[in-house]
Amino acid sequence: MTYAIELREIRKSFGSVRAVDGLSLVVPQGAVYGFLGPNGAGKTTTLRMIMDIIRPDGGEIRLFNELSSCSVRSRVGYMPEERGLYRKMTAAAVLRYFGSLKGLSAAQLAQRVPAWLERIDLTGYANKKVEELSRGMHQKLQFAATVINDPELVILDEPFSGLDPVNQDLLREIITEMRRQGRTVLFSTHGMHEAEQLCDFIVLINQGKVVVDGTLDQIRSRHESHTISIEIEGDGAFVGTLPQVATARPDGRRLDVTLREGADPQELLRILVERSRVRAFEIKHPSLHEIFVRLVGGGHVEDR
Amino acid sequence: MWKIGKVAQREFLDTVKTRTFLLGLLLIPVLIVGIILLSRKMAQSEGGPRPALRVGLTSPAGELLSRITGAFADYNRANPQTPLDLQLLPEGEDGTSPEQQGKDQLRQGKLATYIVLEGDLEAGQGTLQFYSYKAKASQIDALWTVERILRDAVIDRRYQVRGLDPAMLAEIRSVPVRRVELGEEQGREQVQSEGQRVARMMAPFAFMYLIFIGIVGMGQHMITSIIEEKNSRIVEMLLSSISPFQLMAGKILGLAGVGLTVMALWGAAAYGTATWQGIKIDVGLDLLVYGLAYYVLGFILFSAILAGIGSICNTVKETQSLMMPITLIFVIPLIAWPQLARDPNGDLARILSYVPLTTPMLMVLRLSSGPDIWWGEIAISFVVLVAGVLVSIWLAAKVFRTGILLYGKRPGPREVLRWLREK
Repeated sequence: MTYAIELREIRKSFGSVRAVDGLSLVVPQGAVYGFLGPNGAGKTTTLRMIMDIIRPDGGEIRLFNELSSCSVRSRVGYMPEERGLYRKMTAAAVLRYFGSLKGLSAAQLAQRVPAWLERIDLTGYANKKVEELSRGMHQKLQFAATVINDPELVILDEPFSGLDPVNQDLLREIITEMRRQGRTVLFSTHGMHEAEQLCDFIVLINQGKVVVDGTLDQIRSRHESHTISIEIEGDGAFVGTLPQVATARPDGRRLDVTLREGADPQELLRILVERSRVRAFEIKHPSLHEIFVRLVGGGHVEDR
Repeated sequence: MWKIGKVAQREFLDTVKTRTFLLGLLLIPVLIVGIILLSRKMAQSEGGPRPALRVGLTSPAGELLSRITGAFADYNRANPQTPLDLQLLPEGEDGTSPEQQGKDQLRQGKLATYIVLEGDLEAGQGTLQFYSYKAKASQIDALWTVERILRDAVIDRRYQVRGLDPAMLAEIRSVPVRRVELGEEQGREQVQSEGQRVARMMAPFAFMYLIFIGIVGMGQHMITSIIEEKNSRIVEMLLSSISPFQLMAGKILGLAGVGLTVMALWGAAAYGTATWQGIKIDVGLDLLVYGLAYYVLGFILFSAILAGIGSICNTVKETQSLMMPITLIFVIPLIAWPQLARDPNGDLARILSYVPLTTPMLMVLRLSSGPDIWWGEIAISFVVLVAGVLVSIWLAAKVFRTGILLYGKRPGPREVLRWLREK
C-alpha cells in the first residue's frame, strides 16, 4: 500500500528549541487525518516540512512514495494557518493566479474559478477586491485557492478557526465530499468536535513527539475510562459491594460505577439484570476532549 | 520555468496598474518636456522686469566718466526691463569722503554695489574696486553686467587715448564662427545650434540618469512588494506551489520589465521632445543593446540585494536603514558626473566601472560620451557584473528562503550569517 504521507523520524530545531523531535507518521491514501496538539506542539512546523517550505534537520519525508519534489507538490494543496491574499487583486483574479501557479490551463481556469466561487458562496464577489471582503470570506477564498487544482492530498492548517458556524458546516461538507472522492485530507485543529466528526485517524502530538496515533475507536478503547452509568429500580446499595466494582458513586438517580481492572462490563450487566430491573446501562466513552486534556494537560503539568 | 513567468507577469501587472505608478509615469515626461520648453524660453529673454538696481560710483571727473555715464544710458535704452540706476557720489557736505558715503549707503541697503575707480585707468594702470555688502544671489547677473559695462568703457577710452580707431579694432577682433554638422549623406549639412551642443554634453548624463532611475526607483517597488507579501502572509501560500528561488526570480524579472517599460517611455519622451525642438541626439543601436544588457544585469544585482533585505524586515521603514549604504553607492556617479564627463576614461571612471553596483551607470556613460573604449574593458565590466549578479543571487536566495517566513523581531547579523553558512 502506498501512503499519501510518510514521515520517518523527522527532526527540526530552531536555535535551542526542538520544535519537532523524531516524529513519525503514515497517512494512508483516502483517509481523513486529524492532527491535534496544544499550541506550540510543532504542528505547523511539521506541516511546513511536509510542504518543503522549511527543511527538516533530519529524517525522511515521502509524499506518494516519492521524496518530496516539485512534481509531487503539484498534487498537493496546502492552506497555511497564516491567512493572507493579495489585497489589491479581485477574488476571481486570486483564484486564477494560484490556479495558474498550480499548472491549470486557461480553459480549466475558465471553468473552475466560477465553479469554486459558487461552491463557497462568493459568486457575487468575483470582481470585488480582496481588501473589501470580510475575514471569513478571505478564509473561504484561500481554501478555494488551495484546492482549485483538485489535489489528491489536501493539507489544512487550522481550517476551522475564524469561521462562523454556517461556514464551518460548509467546510465540513466539502471535506466529507473530498473523502467520498477518495482524496486524502490532513488537517490540524483545536476543535475536538470537528476531529471526532470528520476524522478516520487522529494523531495527537506534544512537544514535537507523537503521543497517540490511530483510529478514533482505537484511541478511545485504549483510553477506556472503565466508567459505567447505570439506573436500576429499588435500592442500588448492593452494587458497591459487588466484586467487579471498585467504586459506585450516586449521580442523581443514577450510579456512576468504576470497574476493577480486568472486569467485564457485560458480566456486571448480567448480575444487575438478575438482581433488579435495569432502566439504563451506559458504558461511558471518554470524549476526545477528555483524552486530549488527560494526555497533554498532565504532560504539561509534569514539565512545569 | 513557466512558474517564474507567471510570478513575473503578476508582479508586472500589479505594479503597473496602481494609480500612483501611472501618475508618476506620466508626470515625469511632462516635467521633462516642461523643463526643456521653459529653459528655451528663459534663454530667449533675460528674465522678467525688475526694479532698477542702484549702482554707486566714485570716479575722477573727465572723459572716462562721461563715457561711463554714456554706456549706462545706452544700456538702459536697450534694456528697459532691467534698468541700472547709476549714482555719482561726490564729496559729502559734512566733509565725509565719497568713499565713506558710498560704503555707508551700501550698508544701509541704498546701493546694491559701490564702485571706486582708482589710479590712472586711462593709462593702463589702476583698478576698478567693487564693494558689496551681503550680496544677494538674485543680483549676481546684474552685477556682472555692471562690471562688463565698466570694463568696456575703460577699454574704449584706452583705445581713444592711444589714437586707435575702435571701429577698426572691432573689425580686427570679429571672427565669426559657424558650427556645421555633417549628415550621413553627401551634401547634407546642418548648422549646429547652441542647444544642440548642450544636448550633446548632457545626453550621456541623461542616459546614466535613466539607468539610475530604472534601477534605484524600481528597487522601491521591490521592497514594497516583498513587504506586502510578507505582512499579509501570502508567502506561505505561494511557497507551497513554487520554490523561494522561483518567487524571487519572478519578482525580479517582473519588475525589470516594469523598469524597461518606464525607461523606454521616458527615453522616448525625452528623445521625441528634443527632436521636435530641432535638437538631434545620436543614439546608436550598439548603445541601446549595451544599455539594455547593463540595465537588466544591474537591476538583477540590486533587486537581489533588496530581496534579501526585504525578506528580513517587517516594515518598509525598517528596510530604509539597511538600504541606505547601498543607495549611496549609486549616488556617487551622479555626484562625480562633471569629473567623469570630462575624463570618461580616467582613473575614477575606470574604478567605478568595476564596482558591480555602479558598472551599468558608468559603462553607459562612457559608451555614450566619446572616445572609443577598448573592447576588453567592456568584456571585463560584463564579467565583473555577471559575477556580482551570481554572488548576490546566491546569497540573497539563502537569506530570502529563511527570512521570508520569519515574523516579528528582525534577525541580527550573526543570525543571518548562520543562514548563509547553511547548505
